[in-house]
Amino acid sequence: MSSSPQNYSAVANSHTNGTIRRTKILLLGTRRSGKTSLFQVLFNGFPLKQAFYLEPTMRVAKHLVDTVIPLEIWDCPGNITVDTLGASLADFATIVFVIDIRDLYQQPVSKLVEFIVAACQVNPDINFEVFVHKAERLQEDDKLENFRQIHERVMDRLIDESPEFEQFPLNFHLTSIYDHSLREAFSLVLHKLIESLPYLEDLLNVFCANTASPKAFLFDTSSKIHVATDTSPVDQATHNLCCDYLSMLNSFGPLYRSNAINDPRTSRDSPATTPPPTATPLSPASGSVSASPGVPLASPPKPPFFPCAATSLSPSHPGTTLTYHLVTPHLALLALLPTTVYEVRRGLVEWNVVWFREGVREIWEVEKERSAGEVV
Amino acid sequence: MKKKVLLMGASGSGKTSMRSMIFSNNPASLTSRLGATIDVEQNHVRFLGDLILNLWDCGGQDAFMDSYLSTQRSVIFSHVGVMIYVFDVESREMEKDLEYYRDCLEGLSQFSKNANVFLLVHKVDLVREAERNTVVERKVEELEKASGETPVKVFSTSIYDESLYKAWSNIVNTLIPNARNLSKHLRIFAEACNATEVILFERTTFLVIATSSHADSSDAFPSDPVALHALDPKRYERTSELIKAFKQSCSRLREEFRSLEMELAEFTAVLDEMTKNTYVLVVVHDPVIETAAIRMNICMARKKFEELQGDSLVSEK
Ligand SMILES: Nc1nc2c(ncn2[C@@H]2O[C@H](COP(=O)(O)OP(=O)(O)OP(=O)(O)O)[C@@H](O)[C@H]2O)c(=O)[nH]1
Ligand SMILES: Nc1nc2c(ncn2[C@@H]2O[C@H](COP(=O)(O)OP(=O)(O)OP(=O)(O)O)[C@@H](O)[C@H]2O)c(=O)[nH]1
Ligand SMILES: [Mg+2]
Ligand SMILES: [Mg+2]
Repeated sequence: MSSSPQNYSAVANSHTNGTIRRTKILLLGTRRSGKTSLFQVLFNGFPLKQAFYLEPTMRVAKHLVDTVIPLEIWDCPGNITVDTLGASLADFATIVFVIDIRDLYQQPVSKLVEFIVAACQVNPDINFEVFVHKAERLQEDDKLENFRQIHERVMDRLIDESPEFEQFPLNFHLTSIYDHSLREAFSLVLHKLIESLPYLEDLLNVFCANTASPKAFLFDTSSKIHVATDTSPVDQATHNLCCDYLSMLNSFGPLYRSNAINDPRTSRDSPATTPPPTATPLSPASGSVSASPGVPLASPPKPPFFPCAATSLSPSHPGTTLTYHLVTPHLALLALLPTTVYEVRRGLVEWNVVWFREGVREIWEVEKERSAGEVV
Repeated sequence: MKKKVLLMGASGSGKTSMRSMIFSNNPASLTSRLGATIDVEQNHVRFLGDLILNLWDCGGQDAFMDSYLSTQRSVIFSHVGVMIYVFDVESREMEKDLEYYRDCLEGLSQFSKNANVFLLVHKVDLVREAERNTVVERKVEELEKASGETPVKVFSTSIYDESLYKAWSNIVNTLIPNARNLSKHLRIFAEACNATEVILFERTTFLVIATSSHADSSDAFPSDPVALHALDPKRYERTSELIKAFKQSCSRLREEFRSLEMELAEFTAVLDEMTKNTYVLVVVHDPVIETAAIRMNICMARKKFEELQGDSLVSEK
């Protein structure tokens, strides 16, 4: 990933808290391809109906997004060129190029190729991701056919430019703001930018092994993008269920919030203000811990409070429970657990959550230092 | 016990759409595939076990309407418990709609004097938000005038938000005998759990059938915990909507939703089966109370509520 001194000063200009280095993502694509919509739906919880009325973007909009790593996402007008961008392509870690799936004409492909060629000259490490967007508009067969055609055309044009591009690592994703395919695609984009990803994956693997969980995700709660998952393959239906579960929990919170002046809950510590107590990492082998929830760590009088939830599915045996545990103010661990484990060995689960949370917190600190450190 | 529910309104006003969402768990996105209803589609839906809703979804094309009002008149309008009349907010033929509506009221007064009448100003999502209130107010006035002496309740609805659940919860509430008694026992239960509020839902539709709070203006009961916490007034219908949506996600994975417990920053809650036909949501704001304790309380209350529900349905024949 590139990071030059100019790069830092550009960020500082656009944001008063300029002391951290943000990883930059450029959103490109022809007019009305859906760039602004997808950004707004992901990061501002935009209601879909409102996306319908979006005005064309006239100037580059630079958005600061704080997830597991600090991001700066540039939403560009459709007619932008390498020259009018006003920044060097060397500043960006990733370029996301959005193409309307029904747009099989030359224009978007030429534009994409133009940017690839220019970017490779100044920044050979840059990631290029193509979102073949609005995919829900087409029936399954047409969808795959158009996807294939767009892929083929881009590669043909690239090879025309130079045979060297034959090996160019270009990733194509089918996306739509109307389902969770957009979140899944953006997760994959983000994974390439998180240097600590292997450590997060390790933590998730250990959690899964200790709790007999077939799948666990670390989600950014508001955007519902998963920041990491254990190394078992992601099943799309499971991923969608987790996204829907998060949406539901996000909506429930404010719905029953007390508006009383002296709500007893508001006085309680939230993870945003109190760091969790230090836990001794549990050795993965010791699976016999069955202490009652929270007991070993609760330091009186006020244990820090971390929101959690669980939903049990399928009344038939063995049954699955989908758990949610907030681990930092913005990240939550979502795991599928056998209901028997959740009900009978609750202590074990809680203990592993504490251990996981501690691990994430340590990684988070390192990431924070990293993004702060590189600018000094 | 059977209750006949008439679903009436012009063709395309959205009757079958709402029926399929409320009673068959279909998502709103699939309603555009529904064809026009031919004549009357009758459906029996078991609601709360012993209460059977006999839904008459009456196709709204003119030819059918004319026949309901003439040759089929006594069949259609006899023994009606509730008539729901749906008006498309953007209807271009309001005059004609109102004429048919008045004719139906006449049919009702002839064969089912005591039927409750609900009017839905539907598809309000089509009206721009800024104008929605004024447009709906005008419609309500128009409809009340057209109803003359007949007492009616008007709701504005859309299949794309929680308003549909609000209207239907109100409708089914008029069909549940002894809903007040249920409410009283929910209040006792809420106190036992130290809960702010307890809400009872019907199992398949997730419509609200009773709550622990006082239905009347909360000013009248200043000590009511709900009034004290000034909770969001849309919470009932929003909860129905949220849970229904989540149930759909579960079924896409061939899983079945069973229960939910939450210990969030804002509140603690458990949603679980209460009786064979109901789910209960217990909402607590006291941070000391844990979900396990709430679960235990629900467990202990189950038997009582099975009895109550049995009683309330038998008592009124
Ligand atoms: N069907 C469908 N429409 C979409 C999707 N994403 C965006 N749109 C629609 O596409 C239109 C254009 O969206 P914008 O987000 O304004 O597109 P843009 O790329 O930012 O356009 P410019 O700023 O003019 O370059 C809007 O009407 C969106 O509602 C999608 O996934 N599916
Ligand atoms: N925008 C909007 N469209 C709706 C709403 N409810 C239903 N519709 C649409 O209205 C159309 C007609 O709905 P139906 O439910 O078939 O209408 P109907 O009243 O049963 O019509 P008949 O069977 O011919 O009497 C469908 O395409 C629905 O998607 C709503 O709340 N908002
Ligand atoms: Mg735009
Ligand atoms: Mg119909």
